[in-house]
Amino acid sequence: MAFAGIAMLLDGCTKFLDRKPLSATADDLGSGSGAFEKKALGLYSALRGDAGFSTLAWLDFHSIRDDDAQKGSSISDGAEINAEFETFQYTKNDWATNAYWGDHFNLIQLANEIIHDADSVKPTDEGSKRNIGEACFFRAYSYFELVKAYGETYLPLENFYYTSPNQQIVPNAQPGQIYALIDSDLTIASQYLPVTWATATGNSNLGRLTSGAANTLWAQTYLFRGNWSRVIGLCNQVISSGQYKLDSPFTNIWKDGLNGAGKVGPESIWENINYVGPNQTPWIGTQWGTSQNVRQGGASVDWNLGWGWNTPTQNLVNAWDSATDPRRDMTILFSGRYDGGTATGGYGNTLPAYNPGVLLDQKYWNKKVYSDPQMRSFTGQIGSSGGADWIDHRILRYADVILMLAEASNETGDGATAEQMLEKIRSRARNGGDPTKVLPHIAYSTQAQMRQAIKNERRWEFAMEGYRFYDLVRWGDAPAVLGSLGYQPKNALYPIPQPIIDQFLGKLTQNPNYP
Amino acid sequence: MKKMLTIGGVSPHAVKKALLFMKLTFLLILVATMQVSAKVNGQERLSLNLRQVEISKALNSIEKQGVYRFLYNSRLNTIHKKINIDVKDLGIRDVLNNMFTGTDLTFKMLENNLIVVVSSSPEAQDIKITGKITGENGEPLSGVSITVKGTSNGTSTDNNGNFTLTVPEKGRLVISYIGYETQEVAINNQSVINVKLTTAKKTMDEVVVIGYGQATKRDLTGSIVKIEGKEIADKPNTNPVASLQSKVAGLYVVNNGTPGQTPDIRIRGTGSIASISPLYVVDGVFTYDINYVNPQDIESMEVLKDPSSLAIFGNQGANGVIIITTKRAKAGQSFFTFSTSTGFKQLVNKIKLANASQFNTLFAEENANNGVTNNGYVTLPDLQNNTDWIDAVTRKGIQTANNLSIANSTDNNKFNFSIGYTLDQGMVVKEQLKRITATINDECKINRWLKVGVNFTAMREDLPYDATGVLGLARQVMPQVSAKTKPYKVQNLYGNDTITQNLYSTTYSALQNSGVQNPFIDMQNRIYNIDILYRYVGSVYAEINLMKHLTFRSAVYGDFSNENHRQYTPLFYGYDPKDGSPVVINAQTKLVQGLTSLRNAQTDNLLTYKNSFQNHNLTVIAGATTYSHQINYNQMWVVTPDNSQPIPFNKRFWYPSAWPYSEVTNDPTKTYSYNYEPNYTAGFFGRALYNYDQKYYLNASIRRDGSSSFLPAHQWGTYWTVGAAWELTRESFMAGQKTFDFLKLKGSAGTLGDQAVPTGVYYPSYPGLNSSGQTVWPLPDPTTGYGGAGFITNTTYGKAYIANPDLHWETVHQYEFGVELEAFQRRLHFEATYFRRKTDGAMGLYYIAGVNKLENLVDIENKGQEFSASWNQPVSRDLSISLAGNITFIQNKVLAFSDPSFTYIDQTSQNNGEQDSRTIVGQPVGEFYGYIAKGVFQSYAQILASPVQSSLGQIRPGDLIYADLPDPATGKPDGVIDSKDRTYIGNPSPKFTYGASLNVNYKAFSLGVDIGGVWGNKIFRAWGSLEAPYQRVNYAGFQLDAWHGPGTSNWTPLLSQGDRANYVGSTYSIENGSYARIRNLQIAYTVPQHVFSKTSPIKALRVYLNAQNLITWKNNSGYTPEFGGFTQYSTLQSGNTLSAAATTFPPNPLQFGIDQGGGAIPRILSAGLSVTF
Repeated sequence: MAFAGIAMLLDGCTKFLDRKPLSATADDLGSGSGAFEKKALGLYSALRGDAGFSTLAWLDFHSIRDDDAQKGSSISDGAEINAEFETFQYTKNDWATNAYWGDHFNLIQLANEIIHDADSVKPTDEGSKRNIGEACFFRAYSYFELVKAYGETYLPLENFYYTSPNQQIVPNAQPGQIYALIDSDLTIASQYLPVTWATATGNSNLGRLTSGAANTLWAQTYLFRGNWSRVIGLCNQVISSGQYKLDSPFTNIWKDGLNGAGKVGPESIWENINYVGPNQTPWIGTQWGTSQNVRQGGASVDWNLGWGWNTPTQNLVNAWDSATDPRRDMTILFSGRYDGGTATGGYGNTLPAYNPGVLLDQKYWNKKVYSDPQMRSFTGQIGSSGGADWIDHRILRYADVILMLAEASNETGDGATAEQMLEKIRSRARNGGDPTKVLPHIAYSTQAQMRQAIKNERRWEFAMEGYRFYDLVRWGDAPAVLGSLGYQPKNALYPIPQPIIDQFLGKLTQNPNYP
Repeated sequence: MKKMLTIGGVSPHAVKKALLFMKLTFLLILVATMQVSAKVNGQERLSLNLRQVEISKALNSIEKQGVYRFLYNSRLNTIHKKINIDVKDLGIRDVLNNMFTGTDLTFKMLENNLIVVVSSSPEAQDIKITGKITGENGEPLSGVSITVKGTSNGTSTDNNGNFTLTVPEKGRLVISYIGYETQEVAINNQSVINVKLTTAKKTMDEVVVIGYGQATKRDLTGSIVKIEGKEIADKPNTNPVASLQSKVAGLYVVNNGTPGQTPDIRIRGTGSIASISPLYVVDGVFTYDINYVNPQDIESMEVLKDPSSLAIFGNQGANGVIIITTKRAKAGQSFFTFSTSTGFKQLVNKIKLANASQFNTLFAEENANNGVTNNGYVTLPDLQNNTDWIDAVTRKGIQTANNLSIANSTDNNKFNFSIGYTLDQGMVVKEQLKRITATINDECKINRWLKVGVNFTAMREDLPYDATGVLGLARQVMPQVSAKTKPYKVQNLYGNDTITQNLYSTTYSALQNSGVQNPFIDMQNRIYNIDILYRYVGSVYAEINLMKHLTFRSAVYGDFSNENHRQYTPLFYGYDPKDGSPVVINAQTKLVQGLTSLRNAQTDNLLTYKNSFQNHNLTVIAGATTYSHQINYNQMWVVTPDNSQPIPFNKRFWYPSAWPYSEVTNDPTKTYSYNYEPNYTAGFFGRALYNYDQKYYLNASIRRDGSSSFLPAHQWGTYWTVGAAWELTRESFMAGQKTFDFLKLKGSAGTLGDQAVPTGVYYPSYPGLNSSGQTVWPLPDPTTGYGGAGFITNTTYGKAYIANPDLHWETVHQYEFGVELEAFQRRLHFEATYFRRKTDGAMGLYYIAGVNKLENLVDIENKGQEFSASWNQPVSRDLSISLAGNITFIQNKVLAFSDPSFTYIDQTSQNNGEQDSRTIVGQPVGEFYGYIAKGVFQSYAQILASPVQSSLGQIRPGDLIYADLPDPATGKPDGVIDSKDRTYIGNPSPKFTYGASLNVNYKAFSLGVDIGGVWGNKIFRAWGSLEAPYQRVNYAGFQLDAWHGPGTSNWTPLLSQGDRANYVGSTYSIENGSYARIRNLQIAYTVPQHVFSKTSPIKALRVYLNAQNLITWKNNSGYTPEFGGFTQYSTLQSGNTLSAAATTFPPNPLQFGIDQGGGAIPRILSAGLSVTF
């Protein structure tokens, strides 16, 4: 035994201590073709896993802030969100706001890493280029969300990739600098990403990012910058790719049933894809659906479908011309009423009545995420384990391309195209109804009239989907529409989270409106 | 001093303090030695000039010089012969030869400068006695001095402990021996006198265990505290370290009330921001988990705190070392001992919560504050209860420890066997730890030069149910919910029939449907756990006497464990209190099986050279060691594919293999994970313990260590220490004084290392991958091309953490100096030490853009003073009293960040990200950070007149007022309360910790009282202040005082979860953590020896009653003032995962002192018995 010990030492301690990891490291992934694939897939995984993209934090920033959606849930649940996002008492240190900022920068960092590695390797194979395209897309997407939410953010130094905290301590980047990065990233993404992942042998990557997604996102960024010609150009590129069409009926867009039925449908340009297996195994889901489905409140456990956030306001219900727009009953689920059956995206059930603290806590619920009972049983997300983690977040859909084209055309004086595009949306929404009574055709008369029609159309088409707040800000309508809720012009931008300001040692400065 | 300065890199301020401390200590010694200071002429070489004196007088005057002592029979004629002597600067031998010329006297030099003077011509006077002197266990003692009281007549024992002495018929013998109590025996005309000596309590001569060896405390220059095993054996703690609380200066123990949990232990402050646990060395085995050590088997525990004892542990010594030595049979022993103790655990200091009617009032008040009516539950028949949930989930737990040990030992073979059984029920219902340990050790002396031995311990631990968190749940549930079951007819979920089941109520979903659950339902769900840990620790060793003074020892240690975990989650119902109908709570059966196996192996090869040359005493060791640590972690789980085929409620099926497809690892209903995380270290070391004539001491050691945790460039570190001590009482100038029996000044300095890398980041220098991510794509329906034909999934790779190729050891530079003394006939023992520890490059894990990075992040300083004193007062033959106390002052401070651009490390936890601790340069580690609460706004007028607080949310009367701190730029408050008004609001580490004990022995009775406490720390109370906004939990008792109108409260804000300004971290949540506690009160009765006849099978019997944590005087509102570093708790309730390895080291010093509304520490009343046959 002594000899064993001595022999071990004689063998050389260095050898004894030279232990390489017994699992794969980044070095083992190699640098050639395929080296980027697993990391690129990691971007999708992060998008799905982080609250800043999929669940409450996303809903706070995108939807709850507008006049048509509210926090929902029960009165006591998330009471701080009422103050923060419905009455515009923006706070600088809260889990939701911190997560929103943090998750976007995490995704940026993951993308940076791929782009950084690609810069050093300069791969030329198609697979790697697609991965680079994906990374550029994700980075552009995150920065676009950040510039909308915060205005000035920051751009990390040195290849945008950092491994030490001091490398990220940089001053504010102006929106112009951020948009410049977005443009360069989307140039690459729209070039490198395929039009479709389908090949002769099939498509095992249905729903993965395409050049259509890059162009749609890019068009959105130009829409926010009022660069109408670029919007028109990009929208036409998406349309002419022939990959997408408006799905009909409208309820089809939101279908999310057994075996993935309804996922990545004809209108889907990009969605955050989820899957929950039997008994929640495997669980490759998000709480997107869970966070918005009917909250049980005091009702029977059969109605424990989710947390009940992001619910329609009375304002939306009142403002909606129910007689002529079938989308209203496809968007709003009414407490105490029959869910309308398949015709309006229901399943033949009647909801318990609105009675806070006793039955349901909200009058209205977001029907676009109303969970399919078959899927509840299939996944086991039922009863006291209720939820709807399998539901996809449809992030980019073709209707937006059509309405962006309508808006940009109208702004550039092309009333005809605007009218034509608007009608495309309305005719689909009409759902086979009588065009004279239901959502009648709107003819172009003036630019202002058409502008208002498009604004209205976006409100109905995208209700509860998280477009409206940023649309109102973009149109300059926010003070008028949201003023009564407490909105002031400074509320267009959210303050940077305090922990971030703290971390940046004063180099990153807070929005001066939020001292 | 100068040298220490350069070593430590001390700031001038520290030097000043240190100097002051030295001055004070020196002054104390100076005063005491004043009266003898004139006689300084003692040398080891003698000069003597005497005329016409008796030889005995001459010997006396040599004795007075303080070096030598003489033993002789004063009745020897020649000893009274008068002589002249004039010698200068001669050695003792020459002096004596000179003196004895012309007489029949000769002399013999014994150890310790004892000289026996005998006559070469035998004189037949008086009586001749013989005898044998043995130790406590019958082992012969050689070199024991035996004198006739009041004379210089005496001798010493031979190698077999025998002596022969001529003595007067009447008189007493004084028998003394280093390390043993001096004993007196009446001669009374006996011709044979055999005496058994008992081990001395003289601290200085105590043998202590040190790294790779043993030494007497006297020989060392550092600070080692030895705790006898008997102090631990009769305390009701399953973890022996828990019993050390308040006992040792410099050792800070924060206990934990959960069975099987390890306390948070810090030696000399918080030296790191990551790993702070000390190393345990159990009979040579290095470990960080001593759950396998049966407290009854412990012979002694040594706490090593200082550089001169720690440097030999190299890269594992930085956080201090606790050496545990288990019992060994001693030569000649043959006995078996049975000990047992049983006690009851009880929850004390229950936190105050609202009862049902108070809940109603407060909830109505909160609703009124928010303008809502929301009280649908008030009239529901099933919600008319008034449950005290804390009472409902707690109980009187039983704790019992039983131990049987057998020892049989001869001169050549020493054998020990012991078996122990412990049952430790928690205070929480169903929480229960069972542990069986068996230890066997044997040491065999093969021949004159070879000794071999083997130690082996096997343990089985059964801890099926982790109830951590149940107390938290109990705090949350509203009292209206019933804790009782009701019978319901329900569909048998395992079959088709209908059965009657007793169901628990669920919480009322309209109010508490977010994470708050009836804890009984939770228990019902989680109890089907089988969690059995087997651990085997053993060693074999051989010791070879190569030469007279040279020994070689080689040992191989193994420490293997297997933790088998199986958890079955059944299908079950509860009933809905709203409509009284049964509801399925869990509709999926699940089965998880996991196996964690640990393999640690260690080799030590050690050469020990021990010799004395004249007055030079030297012990040198040199050695080499290797250590390997490996973890295998496997997990598999099964859920049934659909609800119609549940896994039956039958243990037989609770294996994944019992289910079809179990061999198919890509079956989506099963997962399989595997982790292999090895770590290797190797080291070479050497140490010298030297003293000159037991006066001047020098200890030095060096160790060079390598670890596989780092890349080759940073793999090796060298650690060293030098210590020196001066025993003033050995000097002749101290010889005349009577005050001090022992006085030693000492100091040491050195470096230590820490290489601990957190779980999950075993290769921090390599770019590890995380493959936990997944993507999913729908398979296109062939007809439409869109989703609808199933899915394909992919695994993704991300970074597990950011690789840090520059990572290296944490290095601790430490020095200390102090004084040890015994005085007043050894009644007083006193030690004082000043120390400073500076950790360079403490490793910290921080989060950067979504992943962790481990880096050498901060430099931390801990400096402090430790004082301990004891006084033993024999009052009469039957009564003795001893009093002991210790106090430790520690100042902890972050000195610098490795990267000057870092300013602090932020640790936020709790629901809303508002509970902050910050670790910043100049402040202590993990200090709380937030606003200063000044009161509560009483009116809108007051709000308008106060600094603007709107950045924290909408403010209204009833909300907290925060202080507007001066703006650093202008020095004036800016009139706005915002993030800049946060500051440091409390240090979780105490300013000092203390302990005291009183022991009274009266005849066969003894009474012991231990008191301990801390002072000057703060607790962050998260419950009742920072509840999650999405959770409705029961109100804390203090919320009854909440503001509900002008003038009603100026401290507790109004009830409203929407007023988030009240939910930021502030002094409103800070509580005083100081406490004092009667840690143990014990009364024992030891049956006197004379009761047992020689033929009695019982040789010794002791019975005792013990009360642990009898009373705690505290200032905070939680169950206890003790909150160790926040650890990440397991997520067992989710059913799918085993307790996930925390990505940080538990305990986490950055999240220290946080009261989450749990953590109760029980009071334990126990009775015990120990009997030896």
